[in-house]
Amino acid sequence: MTRGTLIYIIQRLLLITFTAVAISSIVFIGEHALLPGDAFVSERPHNPRELALLLHHFNLDLPLPQQYQLWVTGVLHGDLGESLVNRGVQITPLLVRELGTSLELGAAALIFTVGVGLTLGLFAALKQNTWIDYVASSTAVVGYSMPSFVIATLLVLVTGKLFYIWTNGAFYYEIGWGKPTQILVPAIALGFPYASIVARLTRASMLEVIRQDYVRTAWAKGLRPRIVIIRHALRNALIPVITILGPLATGILTGVVVIENIFGIPGLGKEFIDSILNRDYNIVIGVFTFYAALVGLVNLGVDLLYPVLDPRIRY
Amino acid sequence: MVKAVDGVSFEVAEGETLGIVGESGSGKSVTALSLLRLVPDPGRVVDGRVMFRAADVLKMDHEELREFRGSDVAMIFQDPMSSMNPVLRVGFQIEEAMDAHQRFSHKQARERIVPMLETVRIPAAPQRAKDYPHQFSGGMRQRAMIAMGLSNEPSLLIADEPTTALDVTVQASIIELLRDLNRERGMAIILITHNLAVVASLCTRVIVMYAGRIVESGTTRQIFNSPQHPYTWSLLRSLPRVDEQQHDRLLNIRGLPPDMTNLPTGCKFHPRCRFRVERCFREEPPLEQVDPGQLARCWVLMRNALKDEVHD
Amino acid sequence: MASVPGVALPEGYIEDAYDMPEQVTLWQDAWRRVRRNKLALVGTSIIAILVLMAVVSVFWTPYPVWKQAVGPTYAGISAQHWLGLDAAGRDIFSRIMGGALISLQVGVGTMLIVSAIGIVMGLLAGFYRGAIDAAISLAINIWYGIPDLLVVILLVLLFGRSLANIAFAIAITRWMDMARLVRGQTFALREREFVEAARSTGTRNLVIIFRHIFPNALGPILVQATYAVPQAILFEAFLSYLGLGVPPPTPSWGAMAADGFHALELAPHIVLAPAIALSLTLMAFNFVGDGLRDALDPRMRR
Repeated sequence: MTRGTLIYIIQRLLLITFTAVAISSIVFIGEHALLPGDAFVSERPHNPRELALLLHHFNLDLPLPQQYQLWVTGVLHGDLGESLVNRGVQITPLLVRELGTSLELGAAALIFTVGVGLTLGLFAALKQNTWIDYVASSTAVVGYSMPSFVIATLLVLVTGKLFYIWTNGAFYYEIGWGKPTQILVPAIALGFPYASIVARLTRASMLEVIRQDYVRTAWAKGLRPRIVIIRHALRNALIPVITILGPLATGILTGVVVIENIFGIPGLGKEFIDSILNRDYNIVIGVFTFYAALVGLVNLGVDLLYPVLDPRIRY
Repeated sequence: MVKAVDGVSFEVAEGETLGIVGESGSGKSVTALSLLRLVPDPGRVVDGRVMFRAADVLKMDHEELREFRGSDVAMIFQDPMSSMNPVLRVGFQIEEAMDAHQRFSHKQARERIVPMLETVRIPAAPQRAKDYPHQFSGGMRQRAMIAMGLSNEPSLLIADEPTTALDVTVQASIIELLRDLNRERGMAIILITHNLAVVASLCTRVIVMYAGRIVESGTTRQIFNSPQHPYTWSLLRSLPRVDEQQHDRLLNIRGLPPDMTNLPTGCKFHPRCRFRVERCFREEPPLEQVDPGQLARCWVLMRNALKDEVHD
Repeated sequence: MASVPGVALPEGYIEDAYDMPEQVTLWQDAWRRVRRNKLALVGTSIIAILVLMAVVSVFWTPYPVWKQAVGPTYAGISAQHWLGLDAAGRDIFSRIMGGALISLQVGVGTMLIVSAIGIVMGLLAGFYRGAIDAAISLAINIWYGIPDLLVVILLVLLFGRSLANIAFAIAITRWMDMARLVRGQTFALREREFVEAARSTGTRNLVIIFRHIFPNALGPILVQATYAVPQAILFEAFLSYLGLGVPPPTPSWGAMAADGFHALELAPHIVLAPAIALSLTLMAFNFVGDGLRDALDPRMRR
């Protein structure tokens, strides 16, 4: 870890913090300026005194700049406030729990994406123009054109109805979140389009790298085929793939929102939609903060992977 | 189907230095690549033999071929920047060349890295071994490539345009290095180039290729002093020579290199030849001996062509 | 013409000159290559059908798009209802046509806005460099850290669920890709000799940017724009799947898929019709984008 790298990391962390706070601030101001007091509209109208008490409890009767100041101080201490709808529920621990769930799902999807995508792309490239290549390439092309909810729907159809029919009721896949196997279908649905992108890119990249002079040198040195393919070809072919890993991981993070809703998975994504529909603005602001920080950290992680693979890049 | 190389046959004796000269597209690189069966798809070797000692390289199975490459015969390429893996350290790339074969144990291989770099005259070798290719200068990279090639002590080194991508002064030092290696180790060298000057300083024998064929071959002295094929002669006449008494005007060779998909009938050089006769249009001449040790593929031959004209 | 004393040039020497290879412009070459790319042609056909459906749907659909109970609910495919009926008894085929209109509007609209913002930002950053580039690049980096789906959802909720708002919201979160591309292109083109030449004759900067640099970057811009359309359509589909897109009864494929989810086993056609329509549309645009990209790739010139 060089000094330059450390400085770079610190710079990025500052940027992430700034972005997270900035976005949340904008959301905060947007909500409070445009939709004040809306949170309690959906509940039965209280008498004016109860309403005033509620507003006071949440600082909503204060002028906006003061509200903002209180909120920012809270955020910088890690306190995101209290839920407007489910009063008494502290937001930060709630979101941290849900963050864990979403991360599990996202990580599973990422593993699927990278694992299946790389393997498929590699074999398609090595066996170019054979049936393996055609099958893999066609699947990939179709895969990245399908929205993840379409894939989710198809998977649910297959695992639900068809498996049941084929195994005469012995095997039934339940949608939900409790058993470890239940992460499979959502993760595959979430990761499938991205795995397709990775597969296509890996294939194209490998095909190009294999024609490079240094691969020819490796053959001329009499190295074993496995070494040539993996140490020389694949390692360099992965470099372009790493560049899209950032946007890809971000895409998975946003896809989580939809998938969690379909499968009823209690993560940040579902929380976001629920809170928006419930008009629980405090939670919405909290989710934004978390999400913005998450996206920033994931991108930073990917950017730090770069020098590991390609020593020409140094910060 | 395009025949990049047609009917090429030659020998290299132990410890000998052979130069293969030709323009781009003459088939010289493809010839060299065929020796190690490195011709890229969709190219293929369709006929012939490549004999190394008693074994035919073209008939080896994959494991024999793998063992053969890099240890009995090594090859270095034109552009050292693109010929080395950019993400691996130079020392490691030399080490893995040795690890792939039986000649040295893993421990011996590690110990040989720095001495190899020193043999090719790279300064500060121990530090350099830990560097990446992009941290080297052009000349040093080529030396590192040579070190990679030498590491298993091959009997033959094939150098495909090793100096083309380098500055002129650096070229000289590389050629000098190769010459010393040939003398000190008795390692044969096949040098492929389009640069006649480089051939003159390194090689004892020369082959001239055109349109995938050998058009002339002989010792360096024979080729430079009395070239018999018009192409060779034109090549020499297009070079400025410091060593000549009389300085004629430089000549160029008219026309463009041949289109390998659409070769002319008869002699392949005749469209660009100043000395052609009627027969050259119809029949392709065979490669025949014109002097002991010198072969040329021409109906006319320079000794006849120039004799017919009268100088003033 | 140098000549060797005493050596004559043979007859017909000059006439054996070789033919010059045929010269084609970049666009002619690209057009030829696209025509040969079968996938791109398939994609174009699908898009043509799509546009046709969308345009026709403005004036006519087999059944009114919003009308419920034109037949038994959940009805399957039949002669009167080519794609069956949904949970509220609406004709699915008509709604697919309507959905095509929505998707195209969002797709093309977003693409235009993204292009407008991205191209301008990219040209400015790439051409003027220095502080302007630093500022724009910083903005790009910051924007990449924004969770786009969340922001779009929020914007749409705050400002209203109309098509225009959706297009704007998506464009605001996704202009960076175009901007980065154009910036890179501008950087490279800026150093070319024709720019130097233009500058030396005193041409003003704005003219240089728009008359010299921009046209030369058009190829990659077109490719990126073509990819931007399915990205936007996908985004809108996500939105309407979550119930946050254009409000019903306007048909949107995403909303149709969400509506049919509960009846997946009994009446799969309700979900499958919009799902397949979406997938085909996205595939078509991706094929065309790939075809354009390959056609304009200078490395692959024959």
